[in-house]
Amino acid sequence: MSDTTMRQPFGLRIASVSFLIFWSFLALFPLLWIFTMSFKLPLDAFSESALDVITGPITRERRGGISILDICIAGAIFYAILKVPGLFGRRAVRFFARKRAGLAVLGVAYAAWLYVLVTGFGVTGPSVLGALFGGLLVWLFGFSGEDDDEGGLLGTLLAAVFYVLAAGAGLWFVLPPLLSAVDSAALQIPLVDYLAHPLIGATTEHYMSVWFDRGFYRNFLNTMLVTAGVTTVSLTVGTLAGYGLARSTSTVAFWLLILALVFRALPHSVLVTGYLPPFIASRDILQPLWDAPIIGSFLGLFTATPPTLYGQPVAVIAVLVSINQPFTIWMLRSFFQSIPKELDEAARVDGCSDMEAFRRVIMPVMWPGVVTTGLFSFLLAYNDYLICSLLLNSQNQTMVPSITQFFNSETTTTDQVQAVAAAVSITAPLFLLVMAFQKQIVSGLTAGAVKG
Amino acid sequence: MATITLRGVTKRWGQFIGVKSLDLEIADREFLVLLGPSGCGKTTTMRMVAGLETASEGDILIGGKRVNDLEPKDRDVAMVFQSYGLYPNLTVWENIRFPLKVRKVDPSTHTERVQRAVDMVELNDFVHRKPAELSGGQRQRVALARAIVREPTVFLMDEPLSNLDAKLRVSTRAQIKNLQHRLATTTIYVTHDQIEAMTLADRVVVMNAGAVQQVGTPIEIYDRPANTFVAGFIGSPAMNLLSGEISEGVFTGDKVRIEGLATNHKGPVTLGFRAEDSGISTAAGEISAQVYSLELLGDCTIVTMHAGGALLSVKAPKEFRAVIGDPVHATVSAAICHLFDATTGERIEP
Ligand SMILES: Nc1ncnc2c1ncn2[C@@H]1O[C@H](COP(=O)(O)OP(=O)(O)OP(=O)(O)O)[C@@H](O)[C@H]1O
Ligand SMILES: [Mg+2]
Repeated sequence: MSDTTMRQPFGLRIASVSFLIFWSFLALFPLLWIFTMSFKLPLDAFSESALDVITGPITRERRGGISILDICIAGAIFYAILKVPGLFGRRAVRFFARKRAGLAVLGVAYAAWLYVLVTGFGVTGPSVLGALFGGLLVWLFGFSGEDDDEGGLLGTLLAAVFYVLAAGAGLWFVLPPLLSAVDSAALQIPLVDYLAHPLIGATTEHYMSVWFDRGFYRNFLNTMLVTAGVTTVSLTVGTLAGYGLARSTSTVAFWLLILALVFRALPHSVLVTGYLPPFIASRDILQPLWDAPIIGSFLGLFTATPPTLYGQPVAVIAVLVSINQPFTIWMLRSFFQSIPKELDEAARVDGCSDMEAFRRVIMPVMWPGVVTTGLFSFLLAYNDYLICSLLLNSQNQTMVPSITQFFNSETTTTDQVQAVAAAVSITAPLFLLVMAFQKQIVSGLTAGAVKG
Repeated sequence: MATITLRGVTKRWGQFIGVKSLDLEIADREFLVLLGPSGCGKTTTMRMVAGLETASEGDILIGGKRVNDLEPKDRDVAMVFQSYGLYPNLTVWENIRFPLKVRKVDPSTHTERVQRAVDMVELNDFVHRKPAELSGGQRQRVALARAIVREPTVFLMDEPLSNLDAKLRVSTRAQIKNLQHRLATTTIYVTHDQIEAMTLADRVVVMNAGAVQQVGTPIEIYDRPANTFVAGFIGSPAMNLLSGEISEGVFTGDKVRIEGLATNHKGPVTLGFRAEDSGISTAAGEISAQVYSLELLGDCTIVTMHAGGALLSVKAPKEFRAVIGDPVHATVSAAICHLFDATTGERIEP
């Protein structure tokens, strides 16, 4: 783009820049504010003076704080976390994809992750670390190189989640000891020691009590389970249906799409009301299946009696998928329509069956679209309050509804700061995820016709 | 080793007929060109041979075997698409290698075969680029290389040169011709550019509105057009077609009188002759009219005039000068004239 085509009138530029500043202030300010608050003792967090909330003098006095040096180091580490995938992801992948090592690493990491989920959230340290570490490897090596397209998409999606988790855990466990070590070392050196003195009061005690004493990690794992379920199911169904509908000219397909849109327009609470009775009575409803001759004995292998779905993550996944599916199908369909039909046809003449053409030719081109759509599904599940709070029992509760446990008639100021810490904990992974994937998301959102 | 046979092949979309009962016999190693105006069903015909479109009626045989119910991948054809159809996520090299990979050709031969195809289309400097980083002509050559790498039994090329500039078109045309000769593969080539058809084809099939008008060698099509459509479509400028009456070997029309035609036909006819076979004379000629316009082409001048109920083009030497409205005479000898039935447009043999 040349300068002349981009030149805007001066007034317009001033207006748009100031609007941007105003908007990011409006959007970012509450986030930054609660982030600051969550590291302060209640006395500072709810102080009259805004400056005290930021610097936290009482917290600094009683619990210590962070120095300029700490801020610099933490900033550098954050920057590195955001940059690592972009810098090394592809190069590592090229090397490993050719040897199919990516697929193996993916398998191991996924097994570890499943192990964590299956062992009933009685999270043992080694298994978490295994999963996180495996995830990091997957992120680096598991996604599709140019030469080998197998397993790429799944690997990338899983790897994204794993990477965020690994980065979060790494920050949590590594950063505090690292910073205090650096500080105590720097205090020995004259002149530099000024930078190492605590400047801003900060404490992580609220996070500790939220995550461990109050068991927020359970909610976190539940959220992961629900979001992973919703995203996987809606993407799988949405991709296949979207492709089918995009390549179909029949009128039935058109009416299906319209019907899906109507379904999407229903208020969520209406859907839940419809689903609730069958979920509560699911044991009776499903009994005939378990009594049926062949299917029954097969199902009996898993559970002796049909499950009661109410209160289970499966129920929430089902409802959220049905809310989200129309949107996913529409969105993916329009992505597929932007891919010229000649691409499938060339692949078929070159020797692919329909399914092969889809997997080897269409999907690699589609993947920014899939990532973007997947992100929307993920956000819907991640941020859902209504359905999770209505359908899940307390030990299966996800993060967002669980914040209500901090508020009751005896709420103390400590509870409130803990609620704030929980809120920050919910926001931070999202923030990291979006930052790490910004390139794919932008290219997914702006993808028009595929060049070629 | 493949002959292609089409027997009564028809394509219908609802009421609309895209291709009408097509019969065609294509010999092994033949270079057959489908030629016709836009929308006449060339691409549709080719897509039916490739298996991307099902024929509503009729049989398609490749190498003597009926392939109507076979998937495209099982027909062993390679196709060059009108708009390339390259895989945007793969490099040039991987694009060309793709058919080998999909068809599970022994991987140890891939490098050699891809390299040979790359050499043939002279793409050595671009193998690591993505299709989006190539010019139209380069993309076209990648598509060609991808088609030839597998050495299929049939090539299908759908206007593969339509997006190239004039110069590249000439050189790529030569490449294609040479390639087909070397690989000796039966080829169907679609174009609406008659020069391409004339230079490349062993035989040309002229189509219009879904129906075959004439099948023949380029010379046959040029020298003995089967009807007024072919006559008016082939050649540049197209053949002049005048309406008039014929009796006892004398054709008369508006401002036209041609004697000595070797035919016994009587009644209304359409007479055709080519601009380059006729000439301009200042004294007298078969056609006497006024100059309608002049086109200077460099090596000659084309004079247009109104006569016989049509605009006629006549070739004049490049020195010829006149202004619009001047009276001119065109000489048209009986030997160069073609006669067509006035109502059906079919050729009348002398
Ligand atoms: N899917 C379709 N449904 C209905 N009509 C179609 C379809 N595809 C093509 N046609 C019609 O069939 C006719 C032949 O189309 P075809 O693509 O074979 O033309 P063509 O000879 O290749 O033209 P061009 O030189 O412009 O590429 C056209 O009139 C077109 O409108
Ligand atoms: Mg066409």
